[in-house]
Amino acid sequence: MVGAITRTPLQNDDTILLPERIGDLTGLDAYGTGGELLAIFLAAFLIGNLMLAMTGVAGPWAKRKITAAFTDRIAVNRLGPAGILIIVADSVRLLSKELIIPENADRPAYDLAPIVIASSALLGFAVIPMGSGIHLADPEVGLAYVFAVAGIASIGLVMAGYASSNKYSMLGGLRAVAQNVAYEIPLVVTGMSVVIFAGSLQMSTIVEAQAATFDLGIVSIPAWYALVNPFAFVLFLVANFAEVGRNPFDTPEAPTEIVAGYQTEYSSVYFVLIYLGEFLHIFLGGAIIATIFLGGPAGPGPAELGIVWFLIKIWAVFLLTQWLRSAVPRVRIDQLIEIGWKGLLVLSFANLVLTAVIVGLIA
Amino acid sequence: MARLRPKNEQSTLICVGYESPNVTEMNDWIAIGMLALVGLSIPLGMMVVSYLIRPSVPETSKRATYESGEIPTGGTRIRFNIQYYMVALLFVVFDIETVLLFPWAVVYQDALASPEYGLLEALGPMLLFVAILMIGLAWAWRTGAVQWAQTRTQAASDTDRQ
Repeated sequence: MVGAITRTPLQNDDTILLPERIGDLTGLDAYGTGGELLAIFLAAFLIGNLMLAMTGVAGPWAKRKITAAFTDRIAVNRLGPAGILIIVADSVRLLSKELIIPENADRPAYDLAPIVIASSALLGFAVIPMGSGIHLADPEVGLAYVFAVAGIASIGLVMAGYASSNKYSMLGGLRAVAQNVAYEIPLVVTGMSVVIFAGSLQMSTIVEAQAATFDLGIVSIPAWYALVNPFAFVLFLVANFAEVGRNPFDTPEAPTEIVAGYQTEYSSVYFVLIYLGEFLHIFLGGAIIATIFLGGPAGPGPAELGIVWFLIKIWAVFLLTQWLRSAVPRVRIDQLIEIGWKGLLVLSFANLVLTAVIVGLIA
Repeated sequence: MARLRPKNEQSTLICVGYESPNVTEMNDWIAIGMLALVGLSIPLGMMVVSYLIRPSVPETSKRATYESGEIPTGGTRIRFNIQYYMVALLFVVFDIETVLLFPWAVVYQDALASPEYGLLEALGPMLLFVAILMIGLAWAWRTGAVQWAQTRTQAASDTDRQ
């Protein structure tokens, strides 16, 4: 069945990226290197703001509405249709809060942590092919790059936890880093089993390799890696939830144990930035899952609809995180470490070796 | 865009070899650097906006460390569970291992397709490598490095684990 794997070249240069499209559309190409740089800047600006807008919808509005639906409540409904204008009201409210900095805070680190957390997540979206030509950069090392920049957030969490000079923050920061390092390896090793199929780390090549279909008599299903290797898909989902610190793995900020973990002492715009960074990480996790397991922007209809399918896929992952938040209890820190090192790590290596052996036997 | 990103004539690469750094890659990294710039200016911009509109009512008591309403006691540089150190140490080993496995995963299918290498040559060294690490993990498991450390009272009650 897996015989339908198509071999693709390691480096794929046919993709037309967003900077080029913008350069063509606006005629900036005619102005030499400066025009090209401006086109690249416009593309980066567009991607950054698209992600910011999604976080804006998710944080103050969608999250409340979804949780309310699970617990049979109504949630925000006063401002605008279905309360959607709460996004504007909340942004103004949060940005105009007084910034209270704890007296023993370790200043440069305390101020830098929110910036590190927020911008590291945004960096990852550079290599994600979002369909409809929205794809900023396509380096050969795409998948390794996205894992690398998503990992930077751990540093921000430790900085926030240590610099706040608060015992809850300290414990939260320690828990966050213990969790991130425990689940980073299963995440990357499971991602590697996809690389074995695709034969490349380049995101566009990984998406293209999933374009084939299997014919199962009556129906033909797409060769998405979630369907080719469902075991890897489940492992990756679990490791991803731990990596972004969502239920059942939200131990670092467990409100019933350590107040809010590493973000206990953060208020005003700093709190907004940490919150923003967390949501960006959920969406980055969703984007990685969509790209390497769910065919990226693939879907029925013309190729121009790519961005729609892509957004549907990452919002589906977001909905899943909110579902788990309402339905699944939190694991304890000792269970968390044991699940990571004794369970997921062993399973992910088993998955890698089995994938390699099966691919080797078929080839 | 033609200058920064020419069409690459060489469309198929059989195996990873050293390629002179071409301009295509350059353009990708310029775009990523530009996103880093945007990613930094968005938080900084929000900080500036907040600085302009937020009030400031300085008062010493509100800057006290939050300890659930109690008067804070002692410093924050507390002693913590040794386990956090153990897992960080293990992570260093396994993280380097995953970095070493990535190139193998990329060339694996090409190695299988080429007539020079059989399944044993392509898969064997990786299996050996993973096996050595798994022995390391088994040893860490046996010595309790991945088992959450407990104090005697905690082990006795086995309910109140932190």
